[in-house]
Amino acid sequence: MTGTEAEPLLELAGVRAGYGAIEVLHGVDLALRPGSLLALLGPNGGGKSTTMRVCAGLHPATGGELRLAGRKVNGISAQDAAKLGVCSIPEGRGVFPNLTVRENLWAATGTGARLADLEEKAYGRFPILGKRRDQLAGSMSGGEQQMLALSRALGTDPAVLLLDELSMGLAPMIVTRMYDTVAGLVEEGLSVLVAEQFARAVLPIADTAALMLNGRVVATGAPAEIEGRMAGDYLGG
Amino acid sequence: MTTFLTYTILGLVLGAVYSIAASGLVLTYNTSGIFNFAHGAQAMFGTFLYWQFQQWGWPVWLALVAVIGVVGPAMGAALHAVIMKGLRGTADVTKIIVTVSVLLGTVYLAQWVWDPDQARTVDMFFGTGAKVSLGGVEVRYHEIVCLVAAVAIAAGLRVLFTRTRAGVVMRGSVDDPDLLRLNGHDPERAAMLSWALGSTLAVTAGVLIVPISGGALDANHLTLLVIDAFAAAMFGRLRSIPRTFAGAMVLGLAANYVLAYLPSAGTFTGNLRVSLPMIILFVVLVVLPQDRLRGAAVRTRERYRPPTVRSAAVWGAVLVAGVYLYSLLLSDAGVTTLALGMTFAIIALSLTVLTGYAGELNLAPLAFGAVATVVAFHFGVQGSGLAARLNVQGVLLAVVAAALAGGLVALPALRLRGLYLALATLAFGEFLSNMVLRDTTEHELLGMRFTLFPDGSLVVPPLKAGPLDLRNGTSSLMTATVLFALIGIGLAALRGSGYGRRLAAMKDSPAATAMLGQNLVRLKLSVFMISAAIAGLGGVLMASASGTVSQENFTFVGSLGLLMLVVVAGIGYISGALVGGLMAGAGSAVLVATFNDLALAHEGMANVYTLLGHLVLVLTALVGMGVGRNPSGFVHDIADGYRRMRDGARPVLYGGGAVGAVLYVLAVTGVIGAWTFGIAALCVAMFLPLAGDMYRAEGRVRRTPPELAGVDEPYTDELRTELDRALGLPAAHRPARLAPALRGEANAPA
Repeated sequence: MTGTEAEPLLELAGVRAGYGAIEVLHGVDLALRPGSLLALLGPNGGGKSTTMRVCAGLHPATGGELRLAGRKVNGISAQDAAKLGVCSIPEGRGVFPNLTVRENLWAATGTGARLADLEEKAYGRFPILGKRRDQLAGSMSGGEQQMLALSRALGTDPAVLLLDELSMGLAPMIVTRMYDTVAGLVEEGLSVLVAEQFARAVLPIADTAALMLNGRVVATGAPAEIEGRMAGDYLGG
Repeated sequence: MTTFLTYTILGLVLGAVYSIAASGLVLTYNTSGIFNFAHGAQAMFGTFLYWQFQQWGWPVWLALVAVIGVVGPAMGAALHAVIMKGLRGTADVTKIIVTVSVLLGTVYLAQWVWDPDQARTVDMFFGTGAKVSLGGVEVRYHEIVCLVAAVAIAAGLRVLFTRTRAGVVMRGSVDDPDLLRLNGHDPERAAMLSWALGSTLAVTAGVLIVPISGGALDANHLTLLVIDAFAAAMFGRLRSIPRTFAGAMVLGLAANYVLAYLPSAGTFTGNLRVSLPMIILFVVLVVLPQDRLRGAAVRTRERYRPPTVRSAAVWGAVLVAGVYLYSLLLSDAGVTTLALGMTFAIIALSLTVLTGYAGELNLAPLAFGAVATVVAFHFGVQGSGLAARLNVQGVLLAVVAAALAGGLVALPALRLRGLYLALATLAFGEFLSNMVLRDTTEHELLGMRFTLFPDGSLVVPPLKAGPLDLRNGTSSLMTATVLFALIGIGLAALRGSGYGRRLAAMKDSPAATAMLGQNLVRLKLSVFMISAAIAGLGGVLMASASGTVSQENFTFVGSLGLLMLVVVAGIGYISGALVGGLMAGAGSAVLVATFNDLALAHEGMANVYTLLGHLVLVLTALVGMGVGRNPSGFVHDIADGYRRMRDGARPVLYGGGAVGAVLYVLAVTGVIGAWTFGIAALCVAMFLPLAGDMYRAEGRVRRTPPELAGVDEPYTDELRTELDRALGLPAAHRPARLAPALRGEANAPA
């Protein structure tokens, strides 16, 4: 494990957020260390997706601090976060269905990457995307769409990758393949925060795991340790 | 041959201008998801400014640069920033209404600034005389400019959309603005750019089309001319620029060939030429394949509370009593105006059931009223002269005819949803208004000689049903009011029935409704027929209340104005139909007429009163533009206010009632005028909820039941303490924040 002692790249301290008058996050603490993969686990409705949206700048925090490389960035816009190197792949399919594969990659150059690089890396890692480059993204299978979404992380050279429910609606084999790719990226030094309902998919490659319940992180620790706790917490024990 | 070539070139030129206008529509639709009904109005406004600049002595090129380079982009960017930005996540009807309001507002504004009675012309570029001869056909320079501009714009847009990143980002912004942000782009910037560009294209089309369609500048006419381009945009299914271009050419050529080769006797050919784009629009809508049913439910911000039959009955009785008391105050003319308003309210009910309950759209409710009126006129009039009366059978027949017309329009359009359906009804309305209501020549069919719309206007006598004779205003008003109340109660019952719930389900998610085994075709067809029947009844009553009707009474703009006001008031509510209908049928007419009368009466103040009259119209449109902020309509808010008042501020309610009673006594005794009373009572009714809220805020002790704590307020530590106290938990065990041990664990290296 790298950079244990280093300052966290992405840090949430007592972050609160909500929808309208309803507060969903009641003070979330998280720290993503450089070059590591942090798995955010927990049941539905625990606030995982909202946490991810806050990190990506899509949703404002109403309290606490959101820090990027030690700098407080509360209220950052999503496009500024993206330009600072936060690559977020949202829940569902992170692609534009009415754009072709190539146009999707083109849209991903908003943070300064070059289209040619993106295409090279994406088609190199997922050859099927190369074959489908002029096809509308919405007409591809779920797995192919998720590959396309993940390609953005490959080519834009981000510092932090946020993955929300990568496994949603995908076949187990594809999920394994996706997380293999993610593990490769972590090895190359990328810091990744993964929110996942199905712990088994991500725990094998996680460096740290955090368990989220009812809008709070109730435990953080080694993946094995958290896995042990989870059964009890899920069942309300 | 020369004729053919001449008309072909004229057709291509017209097609070229259509294509410029249509590509602007496609552009904004693709980048914001909003179909811009105001496109024509923007074209009109830009062209008027172009004329104005030339009046100020600017050379043509400078005026052109100013409108295309500055006015067009600025208008588009401003529209986006002020209005369109706020429309994400609203229902189709809200989006349509907002752009329709912009259309109406711009037309009112133009008629205010540029007196419609004054003739204005826009010349061709290089003058009418500048032309070349191509194979024996003379082509003017202006026409060549049109062709070249259209080809260049179509090619440029195609390149923009597929070959540039800016264009790709624009297309992405309609798919998923949030994802665009995550990619480091600003979707608002992309959308603003596209609105600026779309508006510029509209202005360009306007400047080019006026000279080739005769040169006369007329706000209404020019707006409608650009609306014809809708059909071209539909050829490309609002997405493809090349197909839009081809569609525009078809449209332009067809219009000119009709003129060249059909007999010019009678009104038929001229009418056909005018309504041809709408006929083509309808055919294209029906023939072209549509998007399949989407799986997900339509999530929108509109919320309506379904009415109960009991409360509808109570309010119906209150309405009848209230209108009767009020009618005692009014002069005969006032009663007639109010009766007219009430018939509009009945037509508005057709929108409540169709749009409010079933989520389908009809942009031409008045057209169904027109169908019924024509039928009633031909089959229901007994006697002649002053003794002429409309009989009940005629009215029933008219209602049935309207229902059948509704079914006929809906039948081919059944697969259509949302915007497409709306455009189909618009096409039907325009077709009817141009082909039938202008059909003043005599036809012979199966040995019968008839004229659909003799003399361009119909004299519709009052209704007589047994002892009930609607000869005078009060009986007419009360009949309309009672009918409104009865239909309203019927609709409340309908909404509460299984059928009504099926309609609501279809509105929320057509796909899920189909999965549940419901027959969508039958549902849509039936609700369309019910709605058309109500509109038909309202239309006949409206015609008979006004005495004489002409094509002007059933125009597209009239229908849109009615729809706009009903949506503003709250299209999901019967009360919304009442308020919207009254405003459309009586409200602005009364205000404008009052101001005009005042202007005539007081020479010195004439300017001020005329200004106020114009202002009323523009303000109505402004209210419509605001519907994006409050898509459920203002009746919803007021009703909520009254509900809160009933719970916590009864004294205010009683106080309001007392003020109303005092006002009425003042009015009966003639201290204040009837209209003053009406406006004052309306103000009291609207602002009473505010007073109620203030009263509640004054004397309220905050008491949230424990099980609702934190649901509609932030979950604070104090709240938690309070909860602990309520539950009898010892405060020490309260985990106000994460336990320090856990927090330490969170930050510890794993």
